[in-house]
Amino acid sequence: MSKNKFDFDLIVIGSGAGGSAAATIAAREGKRVAIVEADTFGGTSPNWGDVPIKSLLHAAHLFDEARHGSRFGLRTNTIGYNYPTLRAWKDLAVKRTGAGGNRKYYENEGVTTIHGSAHFLSPHEISVNRRNYSAASFLVASGSSPIIPAVQGLEDSDYDTPRTILEAIKPPKSLYIVGGGTTAVELAQLMATFGTKVYIAEIASRLLPGYDSEAGELLEKLLADQGVTTITQTRTLAVEKENIAHRVTYSRGGSEHSLRVDAVLIAAGSTPNVDIGLENAGVAYTAAGIEVNDFLQTTVKHIYAAGDVLGRHSYTHTALLESRIAASNLLSKNKLTPDYTATPKVVFTYPSIASVGLSEDDCLRRDLNIKKAFAPLGIIARSNTSDYRDGFVKIITDKKGVVIGATVMAPGAGELIHELTLAVKYEITAAELAATPHAFLTWSEAIRVAAAKLA
Amino acid sequence: MSLAIDVVKRSGKRPTESFDLDKLLRSVLAACLSVRTPEGEANDTARKVTGAVVIWLDTKPAVTSHDIRRITSTHLSRFHPEAAYFYQHHKHII
Repeated sequence: MSKNKFDFDLIVIGSGAGGSAAATIAAREGKRVAIVEADTFGGTSPNWGDVPIKSLLHAAHLFDEARHGSRFGLRTNTIGYNYPTLRAWKDLAVKRTGAGGNRKYYENEGVTTIHGSAHFLSPHEISVNRRNYSAASFLVASGSSPIIPAVQGLEDSDYDTPRTILEAIKPPKSLYIVGGGTTAVELAQLMATFGTKVYIAEIASRLLPGYDSEAGELLEKLLADQGVTTITQTRTLAVEKENIAHRVTYSRGGSEHSLRVDAVLIAAGSTPNVDIGLENAGVAYTAAGIEVNDFLQTTVKHIYAAGDVLGRHSYTHTALLESRIAASNLLSKNKLTPDYTATPKVVFTYPSIASVGLSEDDCLRRDLNIKKAFAPLGIIARSNTSDYRDGFVKIITDKKGVVIGATVMAPGAGELIHELTLAVKYEITAAELAATPHAFLTWSEAIRVAAAKLA
Repeated sequence: MSLAIDVVKRSGKRPTESFDLDKLLRSVLAACLSVRTPEGEANDTARKVTGAVVIWLDTKPAVTSHDIRRITSTHLSRFHPEAAYFYQHHKHII
């Protein structure tokens, strides 16, 4: 890879999960590496994505549990919160990860850091802040940006994105969320817990359309208990400023409705950041992402791509996997391919929702002959001691009984899913799962019960 | 009017040229007039298109002439598809 006619051996565009691992690995291998970041070093996940949202959700869950503790004999009449302190907690959590604003970290690793927007001028050259840098190889990990839907009046209406709403001085009194995916439901629950009247407008027929239907339907019911109104099959038509509030017009069931809210949050997903002069480098791409082969190599052999810019998944753990594989393929002749078959995904609401492998809808689309079993949490002993019953474990197997997919909705589902992730990855059967001891009074007993139904 | 943006020419020639907004305006105007667009409409279209290109250039201190041609055609095709076709292919049409 080393060619001294270039300024660097490798330039990584983007310092998020897709770029960071590769930059560090290549630098540790003695390569001359530069990393370019247009925004805050560390990227979305630690600065204004996963880490801040989850740290606030943790505090919100504690608050909610404490408020409802009277049934256990706890006196909780005077419990309250201080939002500036909650924000300070969120900032502390971001700082402690070490990944947010971590420019110094790269410099200590021997990686040259460049702050600014990168733009390809030719296949081996980029421009950043009117300075040109050349490299033998590139890794494009420029991430993604929020999708802003074409809604009349939205641009002039001072709307929020998941990033800006976390910086609010206090939760709005009422909030209209466009989108019903992972970030939307997490922020809906967060705001509802702190007293905001939340409306979620989702264009699909249920929340979390990427998950098994049981999860979205149960979550809608649980959010309703917290005062969240879910309006599915809804298209937002217009947003208009009304003094300090907003008038939102939406279409549902063929008729138009409108409501007045304090804030509008756009959480309708994200789109890959491909406007970096890829044409000048000859890299093929579409609006859906950069095209790569099995080795994450673009149509130009010395340019690789990883993370959200591929438009495949938007999970930090997937981006990290791709970054490590891209680094390995850049440094070694033995090319690796990322394996996505057992990639878990988690929604950090309470209860949390996690899934791995194929959903029932995926199986239907592929016309697979499957068996499925469902174990509601209410039949597990732990539901009695925790006085909590909302959730389930659903396991899908092929006709031979091999686990090919699973969804867990339970407290700590993000932890529980990894047993099923292992099962999907290593083709373990439901009978083998059911025969494995599961400790009494743990939520994971629900996995054994569901697996036993398929054994 | 020149903006503080370097433009790398098609040949890759260095040093680069500064971005010339008037030159772009003239080229879009010429494309519109070439397809018999009334002068007022052509002027209006050229201003809208160059305005959109300037917004795109806001975060890009250095681009290639190919970038400018590509972004200009994208915006021009929204306002005037016929002129956009001419703008994209005029070298071949002549």
